[in-house]
Amino acid sequence: MSLLSFDLREAFDSISWVVYHWVYFAFQFFVYGALISKLIVSLPNYLFYYGTGLLILVSFNVASWSGRRFVESAHEGRLRYMLSLPMKRSELFLEQIGLGVVVNLSRVLPPLIVILWLGGLYTPIALIGSLIILTLVTIGITGLMVSLSVIAFKSFDIYSAIVAALSAILIRFSTVNYPLISMSQGYSDVSLANPLTYGADLFRYGLSLDTSVLLNPALAATVVIALCVGTMFVGMFFISRMVEGVRSS
Amino acid sequence: MEDQRFLEWSVESRELTKVYGKKIALDHLNLDVSTGQVLVLLGPNGSGKTTFLHLISTVLKPSGGTALVMGYDIIKQPLKVRQVSSISFQDPRGFWRHKPSHILSFHASMYGVDGQERKRIVEKTLKDFELWSSKDTKFMHLSGGQAKRLEVAKLFVYKPKLAIFDEPTTMVDLDGKGMIWDKIHELKEEGSTVIVATNEVREAEYLADKITILAGGKHLVTDSLGNLKDSVRGGDVVDLEFALPVEQRVLELIQGIEGTDDLKVVDTNRVRVRVSMSEDWLPKMTDRIHDFAKVKSIKVTEPSLDDVFLKYTEESRGV
Repeated sequence: MSLLSFDLREAFDSISWVVYHWVYFAFQFFVYGALISKLIVSLPNYLFYYGTGLLILVSFNVASWSGRRFVESAHEGRLRYMLSLPMKRSELFLEQIGLGVVVNLSRVLPPLIVILWLGGLYTPIALIGSLIILTLVTIGITGLMVSLSVIAFKSFDIYSAIVAALSAILIRFSTVNYPLISMSQGYSDVSLANPLTYGADLFRYGLSLDTSVLLNPALAATVVIALCVGTMFVGMFFISRMVEGVRSS
Repeated sequence: MEDQRFLEWSVESRELTKVYGKKIALDHLNLDVSTGQVLVLLGPNGSGKTTFLHLISTVLKPSGGTALVMGYDIIKQPLKVRQVSSISFQDPRGFWRHKPSHILSFHASMYGVDGQERKRIVEKTLKDFELWSSKDTKFMHLSGGQAKRLEVAKLFVYKPKLAIFDEPTTMVDLDGKGMIWDKIHELKEEGSTVIVATNEVREAEYLADKITILAGGKHLVTDSLGNLKDSVRGGDVVDLEFALPVEQRVLELIQGIEGTDDLKVVDTNRVRVRVSMSEDWLPKMTDRIHDFAKVKSIKVTEPSLDDVFLKYTEESRGV
């Protein structure tokens, strides 16, 4: 039994909690999404755009949860147990990433299938391609959040404030909910500096949405992969250098 | 993962130091732990016991110095250190939704115990630690004592070369304490080196081959229980009862014996003498007063480990 399977056992301890997330997604998509798509007439088929953005948001939230869980494990005293186990620090970091990826797949798979089916886009290749892009976004954001956990080892309150602010900025200043072309100049300029914009547009490009409203897919893929690789290296560096100086509360 | 090397010392710490901000938690600690022994770390709160245990189990990185665990450097070979050692923490936390059987099974698997052997040893350990009836109870619903027994039990599903226990019987009832102490003895008999940090003097007396006293992050002394008790000057109390009222001349003879620290006349026939190392003092006393007085009874009370502990910690505070 690996640490990943041990943690997954805990993450999936309550099946009703997993189902709750699917129901919540369905409510968001079929009720709120349907209503708001009636208001936005400048973008054809906004409901589909909204649904795909919702999937990106789910991946973002799972990645944030992974980072916060890591921080909580340090404050609860669980991290020190993991640090005492015969495994490399890099394995410990990768396990955190793996946990985020598997939990994310469990959250997005059924909604993704429904959205692909409703959009008439369902093929095994489209499904796998979409999952790969969502996984890359999850890895990148998880790496970012775990790297930020270094702040929490000094102050949990400061970490919470930074992550809350960062999350709000990353989501609002991105193409998760609206395409770049519908944004004002200043807003779109900031959104272009946001990796979530590239993740969202790459995901939609893979689903053959109206490509005229999306970023260049090669550029988007480059940014998303760079985010993954970059945060993986930074996260591993912090875990191996910083985490052993931490005292649990 | 199994390491077959034999070393004289399981732990050798050299100038091991840990600093948190401005606070020195461990101050240039030099300490060797003999292979196959139980070393008990005794010290007041904040003396550096837990910090030392976390450093040698690679949970923390030292600020200075280093230590070898089974010959492996905690800074250069931390993975090797973790493969040959295992730690039971002071307060078991963080497994909230897991069940005792899962926790032990996971711990065993991390140390390469798999398949039927893992199943067998987890079942045995749960029964040994009286957790079998709670094996499927979530950790968050266990009592404090059960959670602590589970924390200690982890080290018995994979018997490490170096077993580290941080206050293994806090929160545990009297029966449980006895059981845990017996299991720690078993672990030693099976070849593990054991380090136990505790505040409980009785626990130290029961378990220790050697005792190390720490205070303020500094190493005060390491020795066997007997030697530590002997080191308390005037620590042995000898109550002498004479057949007849004791004469001044006899009192002067006793006062002059090497090792006499203090003498008090209790009543006409009885005297209380504080001596260092009563086993050496008594023959000298009987020789010296043989011709002048007849001793009716002798009662010797050795210093307790409490006395030893207080002596060293008070000395370190300059009391």
